[in-house]
Amino acid sequence: MGLVLISHSGAVVEGLRDMVSQVAGDDVMVGIAGGTEDGRLGTSAPRIEAALRLALEASTDGVVVLFDLGSAALSLELALEDLEPSARDRVRISEAPLVEGAILAAVQASIGAGLDEVEATAASASTMTKIPRA
Amino acid sequence: MPELTLMVADPSGLHARPAARFVQAAARFESRIVIRYGDREADAKSLIALLGLTIRPSSEITLSAVGPDADAALSTLSAELSPYVGQVG
Repeated sequence: MGLVLISHSGAVVEGLRDMVSQVAGDDVMVGIAGGTEDGRLGTSAPRIEAALRLALEASTDGVVVLFDLGSAALSLELALEDLEPSARDRVRISEAPLVEGAILAAVQASIGAGLDEVEATAASASTMTKIPRA
Repeated sequence: MPELTLMVADPSGLHARPAARFVQAAARFESRIVIRYGDREADAKSLIALLGLTIRPSSEITLSAVGPDADAALSTLSAELSPYVGQVG
């Protein structure tokens, strides 16, 4: 099971990958694609495609993709178009908030969950309680 | 049903990393394991449920387990939590 994290900022996904590996451990493959090819803020279809290919190679079950803002979805779509259909079938795109979704999904993957379960766990991040209740 | 009450001693409560370790440890057991905090409870094998309890420092939590490996589960999980808790009884 792998994850691919996409952000408009390279620093965001680099930091997030550190958090994910600290919380979930190093057994979960985490690919990242942040920023443009020339290091600006933005997203890049070729960088996303490269991250997807690497993650798919390492994780035969498949990959859950999380991203930060809707405008990354277009680059992601372009990247997916270049993948072979058999590879595309192993990619699940998550609507979950990036940070929370990545942490929850990675921990679920680390306990041996499959693609469906990891995807569902990521999705649950959008209703996660964060502010302590009395 | 074996039960164990612990006091969360870590000043930041039960934060993300120990919570994740706890879930990973709980997932290795077949038993159903529940962590109770006040009037709420969470499945110990679910990180979102556990983090959703937002357990504060200096508060009591109770672990209980039902299943064939319930006793082993509780002793492993209390060891897992030992850097963060004190045992109440």
